[in-house]
Amino acid sequence: MATKKKATQKKAPANEATAKATPAQDNPHLSPRFWKTMWILCGTTVLLELFVHRHPHFVIEKGEPATLPDMSDSVLATMSNWFGFYGVYGLLACVGSVLLAKGLSVFLKAGEDYYDGTP
Amino acid sequence: MELLNNIPPAFLLIIGAIALLALPANARKVGAIALAALGFFAITQLSEGTRGNPEFLGHTLEMLRVDSTSKAFGYIFTISAFGAFIFSWSERCRLQNTAALVYIGSALGVVFAGDMITWYLFWEMMAVSSTFLVLARNTEASRLAAQRYILVHLAGGLVLLAGILMAVNSTGSIAFTLENIHQNSTAKWLILIGILINAAAVPFSSWLPDAYPESTVFGGIVLSAYTTKTAVYTLVRGFPGEEILIPIGCVMTLYGIVYALLENDMRRILAYSIVNQIGFMVCGVGVGTPLAIAGVVAHAFCHIIYKALLWMSIGAVLHRTGKSKCTELGGLYKSMPITTMMTIIGALSISAVPLTCGFISKTLITAATEQQHHLWAWFALEVASAGVFVYACIPFYTFFNVDRGLRPKEAPRAMITGMALMAFLCIYLGLNPGHLYGILPHGEVLAEKASFYYTYIKSFDKVVTVLQMLLFSALMFFILLPLLKRTSTISIDFDWFYRKGAKLFYDAMDKTFNSLNKAAERLVIKTLLPAIAQFVIVAPATLTVMLLRPVWRESLDADEKSLKKREKELIARFSSGTFPVAYSAIFVLIFIGLLVLLGRAAG
Repeated sequence: MATKKKATQKKAPANEATAKATPAQDNPHLSPRFWKTMWILCGTTVLLELFVHRHPHFVIEKGEPATLPDMSDSVLATMSNWFGFYGVYGLLACVGSVLLAKGLSVFLKAGEDYYDGTP
Repeated sequence: MELLNNIPPAFLLIIGAIALLALPANARKVGAIALAALGFFAITQLSEGTRGNPEFLGHTLEMLRVDSTSKAFGYIFTISAFGAFIFSWSERCRLQNTAALVYIGSALGVVFAGDMITWYLFWEMMAVSSTFLVLARNTEASRLAAQRYILVHLAGGLVLLAGILMAVNSTGSIAFTLENIHQNSTAKWLILIGILINAAAVPFSSWLPDAYPESTVFGGIVLSAYTTKTAVYTLVRGFPGEEILIPIGCVMTLYGIVYALLENDMRRILAYSIVNQIGFMVCGVGVGTPLAIAGVVAHAFCHIIYKALLWMSIGAVLHRTGKSKCTELGGLYKSMPITTMMTIIGALSISAVPLTCGFISKTLITAATEQQHHLWAWFALEVASAGVFVYACIPFYTFFNVDRGLRPKEAPRAMITGMALMAFLCIYLGLNPGHLYGILPHGEVLAEKASFYYTYIKSFDKVVTVLQMLLFSALMFFILLPLLKRTSTISIDFDWFYRKGAKLFYDAMDKTFNSLNKAAERLVIKTLLPAIAQFVIVAPATLTVMLLRPVWRESLDADEKSLKKREKELIARFSSGTFPVAYSAIFVLIFIGLLVLLGRAAG
């Protein structure tokens, strides 16, 4: 899987080479082939999940100390065992971080000369 | 061999560093590589136990405490030094050579220290020697950054020293043990804060992204490995299971991701990724179970490898192009194909993709939080594990993205060798988890997991879920790419408080105290003092005139006019302080009379 993923990353430049003639912009056009590979890989992991037995999270198993907090009522703990949880969670985590960064950038981004004249 | 078993590895490197100063350039460079190799060999020869006990200030030091934890850190410290010294063959000057060897030696000193005095002395030596790696860049920016760096570390060192002194005072023992540190609660907190400053824990984190990117190419690689990891080591020794570390660690992981999304400078993004990865380790120490501690040491080990690899590859780009900003780099994959490959391996490892070393170490920490049912910590670490894909922007913005017409040569051979060594270790450990798990503390909890079969075949569900999460996160990352346009800006961090804040404080103090000063001058110097001076002259004169006026009137029968004239004369004499002898004699008499009266009254 890892090698396949590496291959996708390397595919990204194929389109950039064509963009050479145009002046440098920070709007990369990723090729349709790149997007296709990305979607296929994501789909594959979801399909594979159908065939594997996932070890449940936050469940007190036999032999574990009884001092651990019981999580059977917790919605979050239950959700973490749902099918496709990791995919959705990865997606949300990325969107969340990007939006948070975008929001904070209003306050936190400053010109490169911002600290000029300070120790 | 018996000799190596009794010499602290720190001395090999520090004494070696001084000896190498006398040699010519090439011999010095070979010598440094050889010293790193010798250090590694010496650590393999160390048998477990405590040794090396010189007397110091009436205490018995313990310079060699050897167990699996200190040996694991010792191995990776010397391996990474070996790689860094090979990498920097063409770049390393005398100053950097010496500073790096002393710095690495001191880090080994901390790791093998069994008492708090040895720990503290090597800790401060690390701070001082590492400052020279920032200074070696020789720019105005690096000089100022080094200045801030050393000030932060000296302040942190003082907090630690205060804690150590209180701990020694309340227990009477200098031993660097869990019981000694936790005896006195104030001492415990001071020591913890002192360590957390070096671990770049939020909110003491900004010194790291401030100073490391200003160092030289070689400096960045060396710095990225030691200061923060010795801090993690001391946390493992002194604070396993300290619950406050769990939220601190989680915040660090998220902070590292958000700032990496904001930053433009590649080396600064790498610096934030250190904070993110240390966050995982700090959180693991907070969980404190055998599995968590083994995971922390494993992650420190792997983290040093792939972080060195990433600093090397971005260093190679900086070496060839003189640039390190997202907005200035791009499209280098054709000119620097090998460096591109190496960076991708580093980025995959930091993202903990299966078959890389990041996967076999980070999953231990998340598994430990889950095993202990730390629900929120687990969710936070999973966000960080998914979001860590933002570090894929390092190869993306450098080698792909937009072609900016840069056509540098491939990195020099020495650099490629150094990178290849680290990249090899990333993949090798990823494929052979047993080799890493075998040297960890609490290795017994990992005995079952320590095989390729268990990690990738038996736990295939884990492989699938990790890949699913990373791939969906990556997909979103590329979809949202237009939102993430890099700009030629810097990001304001906690260092605002001592950079801008210090200036504001200075200005406020300037305004307050200087205007106070001015007001005081106006009031005291210009008004009050002249008034007092005037009063001192006029008061006795007026008093005397009042006394003398009836005498003059009676005895001299003078008219008003001549009386006025006499008064004027008298006042003039008072202000110039010149009197005829007769007056002086009368004053002396009055004075003596007063003294006698006072004497009587008092007696």
